[in-house]
Amino acid sequence: MLMITCPVCGAEGDETDFHCGGQAHISRPASTDPHNVSDDAQRDYLYIRNNPKGLHREMWMCARGCGKWFHAERDTVTLEFKSYYGITESAPPSSSPNPAASKTTKKKSAGR
Amino acid sequence: MSDLQFRSALSHRRDEDLPMDLCVSLDEVSDRAMIDLRGSLDDPKFVAAATAALGVALPAQPRSSSVKGDITVLWMSVDQWLVTTPRGSEQALLSKLVKRLGNTFSFACDVSDARTIIRVSGGDARSVLMKGTSVDLQSPVVKPGWVRRLLFAEVAAACQFVHSDPDTFDVYVFRSYADYVWEWLLAVARKGARVQLYGKQEPPLV
Repeated sequence: MLMITCPVCGAEGDETDFHCGGQAHISRPASTDPHNVSDDAQRDYLYIRNNPKGLHREMWMCARGCGKWFHAERDTVTLEFKSYYGITESAPPSSSPNPAASKTTKKKSAGR
Repeated sequence: MSDLQFRSALSHRRDEDLPMDLCVSLDEVSDRAMIDLRGSLDDPKFVAAATAALGVALPAQPRSSSVKGDITVLWMSVDQWLVTTPRGSEQALLSKLVKRLGNTFSFACDVSDARTIIRVSGGDARSVLMKGTSVDLQSPVVKPGWVRRLLFAEVAAACQFVHSDPDTFDVYVFRSYADYVWEWLLAVARKGARVQLYGKQEPPLV
């Protein structure tokens, strides 16, 4: 069970009281250059999501409190919500770089 | 042409006798009209206009409400309030609000017939309602004036703690759910279905 505190109204609850909007900070390629969107970029935008072991930035909505969206950093190992920030804010600089994620990236690049 | 006549969502239930073995008393509050009010608390013009029109300050604290005379203002969100007023007076209040708000970035709308209010009162009201929601209604923060939106019996609802002694809650549900919630309460509020496990427990005898 996830224990969530809404940073907007302070309502406390579990994941049934909130709605998860999935991975945060996905940029839409067509927003920057609508005439030159490669199929790969569009596919990544629509379907490719991170599945990190460790810190994950997500969008959540306080469905049974104030109805507002917010950003949260969640540890996927401990299911703990590490920090919250506003829905209009961009991703904060990572305070603790995720060792698990960087390891996977390294492996991938080595394989290529 | 026949005149439009208001019929509350549970008016057909009025004639039915409630079961004798209910541990709370149930009633429909049909004489309240509701106005949905939206705007930003950061906008002093909006706050001043709304306060002047309603005659009562907007509750800024989450999960709170304010009352002045016939008018109750319930906190719904950081930028949304539900104003309840006796039926019949809502049009006057709404036009006063709209006039005062003018062209501030705000919104006021008569939603009187969107929701139905079910009043649950009695010593067991808290434990009966807790069967339908994850919110801890035994908590000391649930005191007169407390209000919050919740998932109640699997439907979206708002709950207001009206007064204690006896504990009285107003449950606001959408009109189309009124009959379902009424049936649900009739089923779970039976004396035989009373739950003793909420709140502080005596340690077991060893």
